[in-house]
Amino acid sequence: MQIDREQAGSDVVLKVTGRLDTPNAKPFETSLLDAVSGSEGAITVDLAGVDYVSSSGLRALLVAGKAMRTAKRDLTLRSLQPQIREVFDISGFSTLFEIK
Amino acid sequence: MLASAELLAGLGLLFIGLKLLSGHLQQAMGRRVRILLKGATRSRIVGFVSGAITGAVVQSSNAVTLISANLVRGGALTTRDAIPVVAGANVGTSALVFVASVDLKVAVFYLIALVGLCYQFKLDRTPARREWLGVLLGLALLFLGLSLIKLAPQDVSPQTIAALLGDISLPVGFMIGLAVAVITQSASTATILCLASIGTGTIDLIDSFFIVLGANLGSGIATLVSAGGLKGTGRQLCFVHIFVKVTGCLAVYLVWLALPLAGIDPAAALLDFGQDQAPFAISLLFLALQLTGGLAVTLFCRESETLARRLSPPTREDHVSQPHFITDQAMEDPASALELVAQETNRLVRHLPELLPDLDQRAGDDGKVRAVHWRGARAICEATGQFLVELIDRHLTRADLDLALLLQEEQRLLHSLQDTLKDFGDLIDGYGEPPVLAFNLCESLRTMMLELAEAQTGTEADFDLVIALTADKSTALDRIRRTLATGDLGSGEEARNLLTAVSLFERSMWLAHRLAMTLRLRANEANREAPPHHLNRDKADADRS
Repeated sequence: MQIDREQAGSDVVLKVTGRLDTPNAKPFETSLLDAVSGSEGAITVDLAGVDYVSSSGLRALLVAGKAMRTAKRDLTLRSLQPQIREVFDISGFSTLFEIK
Repeated sequence: MLASAELLAGLGLLFIGLKLLSGHLQQAMGRRVRILLKGATRSRIVGFVSGAITGAVVQSSNAVTLISANLVRGGALTTRDAIPVVAGANVGTSALVFVASVDLKVAVFYLIALVGLCYQFKLDRTPARREWLGVLLGLALLFLGLSLIKLAPQDVSPQTIAALLGDISLPVGFMIGLAVAVITQSASTATILCLASIGTGTIDLIDSFFIVLGANLGSGIATLVSAGGLKGTGRQLCFVHIFVKVTGCLAVYLVWLALPLAGIDPAAALLDFGQDQAPFAISLLFLALQLTGGLAVTLFCRESETLARRLSPPTREDHVSQPHFITDQAMEDPASALELVAQETNRLVRHLPELLPDLDQRAGDDGKVRAVHWRGARAICEATGQFLVELIDRHLTRADLDLALLLQEEQRLLHSLQDTLKDFGDLIDGYGEPPVLAFNLCESLRTMMLELAEAQTGTEADFDLVIALTADKSTALDRIRRTLATGDLGSGEEARNLLTAVSLFERSMWLAHRLAMTLRLRANEANREAPPHHLNRDKADADRS
């Protein structure tokens, strides 16, 4: 898995490539939380390069989502592949995050 | 022809009667039986007497053995506590054999009349009365069947009977008794049949002796057969049941062999013991078998436990089936008992994710491990449910009753959720490599269960998040159903399996949603009852001063 971070003013974009599975979930969560604590604006996670999301990956996003909600900031997900979009829809994440 | 029809009808009525009697007695006495058996923790004598009463009531030592085995698995009894219970239960089953040795034909007619009139005048409206009427009807049919069996041989010429049974050797008699007991799952049924035959002179006392001996051993074997699913600690009591039977058979047979050495004819001595009444003598023989076996095993309780433990060592399932918090002693203080139920429930919720496959890290025996966890969780859920029912019976305060009912609802939802997750997991296991939809459903469900488990140690906001995530998903799921109907995601068996997976997923989500709501409600109540920390400190200061 590879995570590229782009800073746009106070906002952050994280471009993720690879699998969001159990071994990668912890580094992914750390990157997300670093972005939350290291910026003051919105965070966008680009999932165009992700073709596999397991429960560990979903929970990493949920942890970041809770932190952003507490900080009253927006966490947006974008460019989801269809099978990834499906897992977000049926798990109810689509109502929790803004998805573009 | 008529004789064989009478015999078959008699057998049919006997079996129906036994089934009705046992089934309705267990319904009528079910909870009281469990309470009675739990008293066995006090002493071996109390355990033996409790077992004898239960055996007499339930009329099946197999049933008492299996109920006790479940109590042991649920942690309410230890194997050593339950050994005298199983031993006593065998003695208790003798009651029916004694009743059957008396001619109750006229009483049976009155019994049937009584049951019929009660039904006619609608005196069976309450569930309890219905069960007791079922018990009486079962008893009446049982004795009616016996009467028919006794009548049948009278229509057959003595020469025919001699030709049929004259050549029964003693080992064959033993094997017949054993086979009948294994088939009917009851030594007393085989003995009662023997009583009916001996009463009409179809078989003699010596044949009966060996048939009853075989039946006694057969009933022990039957317990092992009917306990096929039980393993580990639960199975230990089945071996104890066999010890009772084998010890009884050996002790009585040794006396039978020893008597001629003292110049006594054993058959004559047995008849003499039964006051020249062969059926009564056989009833006494049956009682002697149960008493000698039962008392010996009770006296050597520790040794019996060691041997049973060696034959069926505790399994991992035994470990995961033990409640961690609830104990019978806690019942004395309802408020603490409810707190323990709450902790037991929380623990079960924390273990919910273990019932689902982890598709990220699949191992070969995942399904078996999960099945063990499911059986364990289910056993604890059932034990906790029973505990709550007994607690509610104890005239709780209004607040405690409200909490008990809330916990009962949580248990009900948890039980259903455990079963649904198990079915869903089994379905996913059926795939070598699950299709994308099955994978997504499984990982979503696993995420919800992990979140629900984690919310236990979190804040109300964590429960709110789970409630939001598990809210109605009919729009997304209906879209998937429509796609499946078009055959785009597979056809035939594959599509049917995916549809089932979607339905199980939806049901799990609904149950998790309801469960999260009740858990949040309980967390709210607990927070409201607990005064803020500084108030506790102020109160402690005031108490000190």
